[in-house]
Amino acid sequence: MLNEAAVKELNEIRQKYPNARAALLPALYIAQREFGHLSPEAYEAVSEILGVPKAIARGVATFYVMYKHKPMGRNIVQLCTNVSCMILGAEKLVDFLKNKHGLEPGGTTSDGRFSMVIMECIGACGTAPAMLVNDDFYENLTEKYIEEILGKYK
Amino acid sequence: MIKVTINGKEIELEKPVTVLEAARSAGIKIPTLCYHEQLEKYGGCRLCLVEVEKIPRLQTACTLMVTDGMVVRTETPQIADVRRGILEFLLINHPLDCPYCDKAGECELQDLVEKYGPAKGRYKEKKRKAPESLEDPVFVRNMERCVMCTRCVRMCDGVQGASAIAIINRGGHSHMEPFSGGKYDCEYCGNCVSVCPVGAIMSRLHRHSYRPWQVKEKTETICPYCGVGCTVIAQVRDDSIKRVIPKIGSSVNNGMLCSRGRFGYEFVGSSERLTSPMIKKNGVLEQATWEEAISLTAKRLGEIKNKYGGPSIAGIASPRCTNEDNYVFQKFMRVALGTNNIDSTARTGYAGTQKFIENIFGQGATANIISGLSNSDSVLVIGGDPTAINPILGLQIRACSRKGGNILAIGHIKGLEKFNPVTVSPRFYTETLLLEGIVSALKNKKGLPGSIPALEAKIKDISTSAKEVENGCGIAEKDFIRFTDTLSESLTPSIVLGKDIAQSSGGSYKLMLISAINYLMNARIYLLSERANEQGVLDMGCAPDLLPGYRPLSFAEFRKRYENAWKSPISEKPGLSIFEMVDSAKSNALKALYIMGENPVFNLPNSKAVKAALKNVEFIVVQDIFLTETGKLADVVFPALSWAEKEGTFTNMERRIQRLRKAVNREGMEDWRIISEVAKNMGVKLDYSGAEEIFQEISRISPLHRDLTYEEIGKGGAIYPYKGEPLRGVMEDIQMHKGSSVNPDGKLYLRLERPLFHSGTLSTKAPALVKIYPEAVARVSPAVGEALSLKSGDMARVSTRTGSLELPVNIDNKLDNLSVMLTNNFEDKGAFSLMEYTIDPVTKAPVIDANEVKLEKVLA
Ligand code: SF4
Ligand code: SF4
Ligand code: SF4
Ligand code: FES
Ligand code: FES
Repeated sequence: MLNEAAVKELNEIRQKYPNARAALLPALYIAQREFGHLSPEAYEAVSEILGVPKAIARGVATFYVMYKHKPMGRNIVQLCTNVSCMILGAEKLVDFLKNKHGLEPGGTTSDGRFSMVIMECIGACGTAPAMLVNDDFYENLTEKYIEEILGKYK
Repeated sequence: MIKVTINGKEIELEKPVTVLEAARSAGIKIPTLCYHEQLEKYGGCRLCLVEVEKIPRLQTACTLMVTDGMVVRTETPQIADVRRGILEFLLINHPLDCPYCDKAGECELQDLVEKYGPAKGRYKEKKRKAPESLEDPVFVRNMERCVMCTRCVRMCDGVQGASAIAIINRGGHSHMEPFSGGKYDCEYCGNCVSVCPVGAIMSRLHRHSYRPWQVKEKTETICPYCGVGCTVIAQVRDDSIKRVIPKIGSSVNNGMLCSRGRFGYEFVGSSERLTSPMIKKNGVLEQATWEEAISLTAKRLGEIKNKYGGPSIAGIASPRCTNEDNYVFQKFMRVALGTNNIDSTARTGYAGTQKFIENIFGQGATANIISGLSNSDSVLVIGGDPTAINPILGLQIRACSRKGGNILAIGHIKGLEKFNPVTVSPRFYTETLLLEGIVSALKNKKGLPGSIPALEAKIKDISTSAKEVENGCGIAEKDFIRFTDTLSESLTPSIVLGKDIAQSSGGSYKLMLISAINYLMNARIYLLSERANEQGVLDMGCAPDLLPGYRPLSFAEFRKRYENAWKSPISEKPGLSIFEMVDSAKSNALKALYIMGENPVFNLPNSKAVKAALKNVEFIVVQDIFLTETGKLADVVFPALSWAEKEGTFTNMERRIQRLRKAVNREGMEDWRIISEVAKNMGVKLDYSGAEEIFQEISRISPLHRDLTYEEIGKGGAIYPYKGEPLRGVMEDIQMHKGSSVNPDGKLYLRLERPLFHSGTLSTKAPALVKIYPEAVARVSPAVGEALSLKSGDMARVSTRTGSLELPVNIDNKLDNLSVMLTNNFEDKGAFSLMEYTIDPVTKAPVIDANEVKLEKVLA
């Protein structure tokens, strides 16, 4: 079940859109935040509050890769490996994360601290390689810098 | 007038349509895949691309509207190329397992590729793999075959309104799934299966049992389940029904079916069917010959009639049997046995409700066309969930909402909750106060029309303010006002009325209030009907106070007419209602009971007491297709032919008469023929060559059915009032009964659940429906469950004054905290075994809403 604040948030979002289906995307983000990922319960909660059938909500959500479709670690590393980042060594960083932290693309560390998702160009080509950790943005990555960054997230 | 030229042919059109529709109207074929006439346009598959002059690129004919002067070509080398290319794309991932696929032979992809496609694809990549899903008991999903036309989703979301499936994922990974990804959690209408062009979703009922081209017989008949009367096509191979499908264009259901109609047919071939007559010897039913059973029945009925007189005999007719069966049945009771003691389970609500309302508004006031509901600008729903009781009618209410109409619900209506209903839920036993409030509000807003003084006299007495409603019913004043404002602003309102009203305390008084709403709003009223021929049973005169043609027995003029036609006197004394029969059996006054296609020992409330009463009856005859609880009590049991094995007619809730046609052969006799044989043995001639001859007699003597023929009925023209005349101007005084008030605080009440997936016990003989809804459960709200620490699946004992049952519990979020819901469908687990009733003195319907119930956890 969603807590009262989240229900309120969802109802407010609903008001911003002409119909309930239009409010799905932001609503799903809230549910994902509350439930950890888009679990059946998360869809049910959104469906209940917006009045959008849960099968439809799931259909919409699965179109987008940026939702969490399965349980994930506490922090999410989104590392870009598209052309610019690749040329500037992103793939080495992938190996680094794997060897040093046991963090594989699409995987989660055994302590549940990090999950990693490979991204396709996050718009930082000029300062590649780049990544996001949760909502924070990092560029000009090196192995050392990554170590420093990861240390900030528990 | 719009003029377009397609392939050089000039076409004139009255109103703008799509290029595809224009072409089809002129007999020009354009291939399509995602287009379906029942569904919203999509324009996804691109197979229908056509060339339009002055538009540079090819256009989809299924979405493009014609404009005056448009010039279209549908077959050019370029178009052929494009079609071939699209089909080649579709086949990249298609498994081409046609030899193994049930759809082969009626597959649109197969046909298209055969006609337009490349002989061989050029793509060498591996095909997408997805194992066939057999997680659902009814559907098999094969997503390798899916062509992503979204027809199923548009059907489920846009027409059925269940929204249980969606396209998931993206690009090459996308396919259709129900929410769980495996088993469906839906209404099981199967309408998605109907529209899937390929073998991606199919029914498991006939899996690998036949090929479409092996179907020799396609019988167009009427669904045996509810009063909507959907047209179905039974596909038969080797004298067994393989599949039941709807018919596009049929008047009632136009290509749609519900779960019962589509998946409920397997009872016909059940191995539990009765095969031989049986006679009770030393308390045990033993097989007997037809001759023995018929002559014994005739002899015993004759003896009892001579010894105790006709009124000591009663008959129960069947809303599942045809008009012809029922007509012969009542004629037999009246002519051969000399009694008006004839009734049916229509007495449990439908009959009394109809009589009450039509007494005020005139005969035929409740005969309204179902499809008209979607054109209403508001629908008021009370007394039951139409989407479960009469699902296809329910769809029309959903359609009304989609078209912008308002749904006004009294109490929570589960099947309409996603359709923005304006709902007012009164506290228990305060529905009357709410209705009074609505009548008062409408009276003040709209004034009295002045046309029905008797009703206005009652309306004048009513004055209940919004404040009183708030205090009494627990409905906030502003919600009540919103409700009555929406209602009163409506110009073309309809009212959909379920049986819960007649079966509640003060039912007839509530009916008066609902009639008042109907009157003040100038609305149309629809009565939900649970049995396929519930209306027909009344029209045929299977009621203690009615003669065929729905003519009151009390009118000497009609009696005379039938006496002349039947060459036999008819008693002027009204007979016993079905409940009075039970009382009469209890007091030993009833000596013989003839039951055709009904199971009163299960289908009447307080069924245990009914059983005890029937044990007193000297001689009981039962005609049925299964050995029911009632059959077990009988002295003689006749095996009857089922719905699929006979000819005849049903009359649906709109009072449309429709033809039942024989789909499969079976040895045995129709119900009417068994009766006619018994009559013959009693020296009474009740001979007919077939159902049609019976109908000819009906249309000769019933003023309502005058001159109707099977041929005309077959054409779909038999719509009320046919060519006959309804009875006008016989209004009796409006009588009503306010019932007693109940204070429900802190108690639990047993209530009847009317499920979508079952109907009587018949549906429990249909394995697919049992797989969907397998057993009786006690449904309670989360709070009630929590108080006893009950979770879904735990066992509980449900007890009332008449007994107790141990049942699994199901927690239902939408339920109130005063109810325990239970169905009356599963043998030995029926709600009616736990319910007592009182009779509403006006409607003669059983009042069953005051059965206190105790719930206890059963420890494993
Ligand atoms: S069976 Fe009916 S309700 Fe179920 S998914 Fe198909 S269309 Fe929807
Ligand atoms: S399952 Fe059938 S109807 Fe649904 S999208 Fe696939 S091919 Fe079309
Ligand atoms: S709505 Fe009634 S008549 Fe139509 S298919 Fe369903 S049960 Fe049969
Ligand atoms: S390629 Fe990595 S940010 Fe654009
Ligand atoms: S039929 Fe027109 S695009 Fe599919």
